[in-house]
Amino acid sequence: MRKDQNIKQQADWFLIGLYFLMVIFGIINIHSASNASFDISIFDIQHNTGKQIMWFGASLFVGLVILVVEIKILRGSVYIGYLIVLLLLVGVLFMPPINGQRSWFGAGGFGIQPAEFAKITTALVLADFISRVNIRLQTVKDVIFANLIILIPGALIMLQPDAGTLVVFTSFLFVMYREGITYDPIIVRLINTYPGVRINQTWIGSNFIPILLIVIVLSLVTLSIRETEMILPFTMVPLSGKYIIIFIISIIFILFYLVIQRIAQKRDKAKLAALGAVSGILLSLLVLGVDFAFENLKQHQKDRIELALGLLEDPHGKDYNRYRAMSAVGSGGLHGKGYHNATVASPVLNHVPEQETDFIFCTLSEEWGFVGSFGLVILFTAFLLRTITIAERQKSIFSRVYAYSVAMVIFYHFAINVGMNIGLAPVIGIPLPFFSYGGSSLLSFSVMFFILLKLDSERLNMLGND
Amino acid sequence: MNFDGRKIFIIIFIVLTSIIYSIKLLHMQVLDNTWTENAAFISETRREIIPPRGVMFDRNGIKIVSNSPYYDLRFVEKNIVDLDTAALAKLLQVHDTFIGYRFKEIVRQQGVYKGKSNYQRSREYTFIQGITKNEIARIAPELYKFPGFYEVATSMRQYPYPNAANIVGYIAEVDSADMAKDPYYKRGDYIGKAGLERFYEAELRGKKGIKYLLRNASNNTIQSYDEGRMDTVAIQGKNLTLGIDIELQAYGEQLMRNKLGCIVAIEPSSGELLAVVSSPSYDPNILVGRQNISANYPKLLRDPFLPLFPRPTQAEYPPGSIFKLVQALIGMQEGVIDENTGFPCTSSIVGCHSHAPASNVSKAVQMSCNPYFYYTTKRIIEQGFKKNIFEDAAHGLAIWEKYMNSFGLGVKLETDLYGIRPGLIPNPAFYDRWYGKNGWAFKTVRSIAIGQGEVKLTPLQMANVAAIIANRGWFYTPHVVKSIGEDGPKSEYTVKNKTLVDSIHFLPVIEGMRKVTEEAGGTGKNARIPGITVCGKTGTVENKQGKDHSVFIGFAPMEDPKIAIAVFTENAGFGGTWSAPITSLMIEFYLKREVSDKAKEQRILDAVILPQPKNK
Repeated sequence: MRKDQNIKQQADWFLIGLYFLMVIFGIINIHSASNASFDISIFDIQHNTGKQIMWFGASLFVGLVILVVEIKILRGSVYIGYLIVLLLLVGVLFMPPINGQRSWFGAGGFGIQPAEFAKITTALVLADFISRVNIRLQTVKDVIFANLIILIPGALIMLQPDAGTLVVFTSFLFVMYREGITYDPIIVRLINTYPGVRINQTWIGSNFIPILLIVIVLSLVTLSIRETEMILPFTMVPLSGKYIIIFIISIIFILFYLVIQRIAQKRDKAKLAALGAVSGILLSLLVLGVDFAFENLKQHQKDRIELALGLLEDPHGKDYNRYRAMSAVGSGGLHGKGYHNATVASPVLNHVPEQETDFIFCTLSEEWGFVGSFGLVILFTAFLLRTITIAERQKSIFSRVYAYSVAMVIFYHFAINVGMNIGLAPVIGIPLPFFSYGGSSLLSFSVMFFILLKLDSERLNMLGND
Repeated sequence: MNFDGRKIFIIIFIVLTSIIYSIKLLHMQVLDNTWTENAAFISETRREIIPPRGVMFDRNGIKIVSNSPYYDLRFVEKNIVDLDTAALAKLLQVHDTFIGYRFKEIVRQQGVYKGKSNYQRSREYTFIQGITKNEIARIAPELYKFPGFYEVATSMRQYPYPNAANIVGYIAEVDSADMAKDPYYKRGDYIGKAGLERFYEAELRGKKGIKYLLRNASNNTIQSYDEGRMDTVAIQGKNLTLGIDIELQAYGEQLMRNKLGCIVAIEPSSGELLAVVSSPSYDPNILVGRQNISANYPKLLRDPFLPLFPRPTQAEYPPGSIFKLVQALIGMQEGVIDENTGFPCTSSIVGCHSHAPASNVSKAVQMSCNPYFYYTTKRIIEQGFKKNIFEDAAHGLAIWEKYMNSFGLGVKLETDLYGIRPGLIPNPAFYDRWYGKNGWAFKTVRSIAIGQGEVKLTPLQMANVAAIIANRGWFYTPHVVKSIGEDGPKSEYTVKNKTLVDSIHFLPVIEGMRKVTEEAGGTGKNARIPGITVCGKTGTVENKQGKDHSVFIGFAPMEDPKIAIAVFTENAGFGGTWSAPITSLMIEFYLKREVSDKAKEQRILDAVILPQPKNK
């Protein structure tokens, strides 16, 4: 096989199609979100639409460069790129602040945010690190090092401060999870010392969800539904939030017990059952503990937590943007109000702040209705699942880690951005990939996408630790 | 180790997120209407069109309360761009420094809540209030140079007569209590705060119209919503026609100038109040608009003669001798005396002036014989139903109270003037509290016989007694408003109240009242009017704090009473000296529109009867 395999043949045309669909749909929406009427020429670079089209052109040009460049050059420049972005992240801290954040280079309409590109370089370096022969993400040293790769740019971004991008950096934890990272080696070791159980050789062991994650998710769920009441099925017994969770945990462990009775080896049965019971009791205690702790917080602390979880509505205070955004989305109906017809997320009426950037989803949902918003969710889901499929078909660990990084970063952006528009995520100012207006955002996501495309098209030429 | 299985969790996580988001979107956009309503609330502004308030006419169709158009200059700070304060000051014809000062003042007026100012940059505030039509014609065309500033048309009360302030009351901007009580009101709306403006608020305010407009985040309206199909029209408040005769009212206020007290005049046949003078009073125009209210209200409040105190309805005075009329009526109805009963003038029991013997009821009224009514009341109270004199007195007083209440005394006369007081007619329970049960007899409470002691009446009740006697035994509850729109008075004012005294018993009393003004020995000859038979009764109210109060009630003409009146002059001494002539002037003015006895009129106008203001 020749090294410069024909890109045309190997490229993933499905993903490319999705990319173009999203960007063009995005530009159409930016035109509606930024301008009062059709009259403004879409190519006028004085206006947002023209600027975005210009950035799209730039993105395609850069993408083309990435596609034709030798893969070796790309692989070799990983650390240099990482260092350059780190320097830029340091440099940007000396720029004059815009809206209280020192995150922009340049002025006027054409600024660049290095933090957007830090995601790419971090993903590349992380991929390079994990793909090394002697790295095992189950050792304390390697886990710390992998986390440092993320933490260094993360810390610099925190200094800007740009909480949104910082949150996105936690998406790399998912990537490392896929690569087998274990945050609780001590706990794993403890369980392994339990005679007869080799947890890391079982299915549970290799698919182990970090206990820390379980604790966090369970705590959030507990807080979210602590006010909810449910009637226990087939009885008249009312259950409050925490007992609903304990009830569900009980059912899960009964099922677990029934399953191990069938599949486990005879000598492990009792031990696994005991392990299950102990875990169940510990998790139930956690639920009760979180609930108790929350009960004993001061009112303003409770309020803050409930606001962040979306349990409190405060339409005129901190939650102002979310309330406006949700009103725009919710008023879209099935078919929407029609292109350029938004009454809430309208550029003239201006009820939703930043509606062409972080709140572009409002305009789309209000004007295209459920048809449009559901279409957007489908587009992203397809894009993400396709990216994961691509990731899984890579022989090269580098390519796989990078592809997962792309999937998780875009997933984070999608989940948080859409989530804050529909009240399922806290309001964190991050753009919707390919849709939001903004040069840095479009360019960086495009570069990210084209590198993925490049790596994928070279998959037959790259080996496991290549 | 092989971690390929972990991809399943990631895929599940992504797909689950998408499913949850899709369900939430379906719910928000298609199934649930809440957010559509919220969106409507955000983007469509309901501009309330406040209709003109109902105006008021007097009984002769003269406009006494009207609206005059004027304009507010308002601003929203958020929308102000590069304000040229010098140019604005020039346009508004104020000093340069005023602009900055006014901004600071507005912020200060909004107050502070929990350490933060209530002032909001995106909210509308009034920069200058009460700009006249002519001024706005000059200002409005220039306002485009000052984005964020705009004019709003509104209207204000205007009172063509500087009179009747205590009757019509005044309007002021709603406070938070008003808004909490009735969600109809929004900040900046006006509400009646006193008098008729308050009592008839629901009728006068009309119904707000609603105009739906699309608006943007800075509250600038963009266009009419849905082509105005949902808009409703504002309905003007109903006009009120008052029973008040504004010229009589003005004349009464003129007569009472430099005196403390009041005049209440009623048309007996309808219960309509013809004049309700409270002195001192004030020009209602000084309480128009926020600036005026905040400047003048405290002044009125601090005035030692209490111009804001509505004496006719809220001052409770011992009635003095006018009360004897009611005692005589009750005595005859109870059968303890008849019209020819005579009593000796035993001034050892209760003091009296020297007069011819009171050989019957009308003479007793004419000469206002104190012992006569002492005996009469004694007979009412001590009727011998019970052996024990204490129990007997309690029984008798209970009967007496029932009669009094039927005259509207000791109970609230539910007129349409705000803040009615019931006066005080003592009952057995009242004295039991003072002296203990069976601790009192007639002797203990005897001063009620001549309208002194515990008995208290409001001037309105005094005038109503005159109206009852003029009607020979019945009355309509006195009221100011003759007609709401075209609908007549409130229904409760068309119910005839009958007293417990038969009309036959009124004749000797009326005859006595005629003698008061017309015959020698009468106490109220000053109330005499040539050509008109005036019936009246003087009263002199003992006042422990100062000079006695002078009171007179009466009605005229005797044959066909057109006006019943009570005049109460504080600290003026004998009833016949001051209140009687004022009564006659009022009656004559009302019936003839002019007074014949100019000397009498001049004497009253010149009189200054004011107590030394107490130093605080």
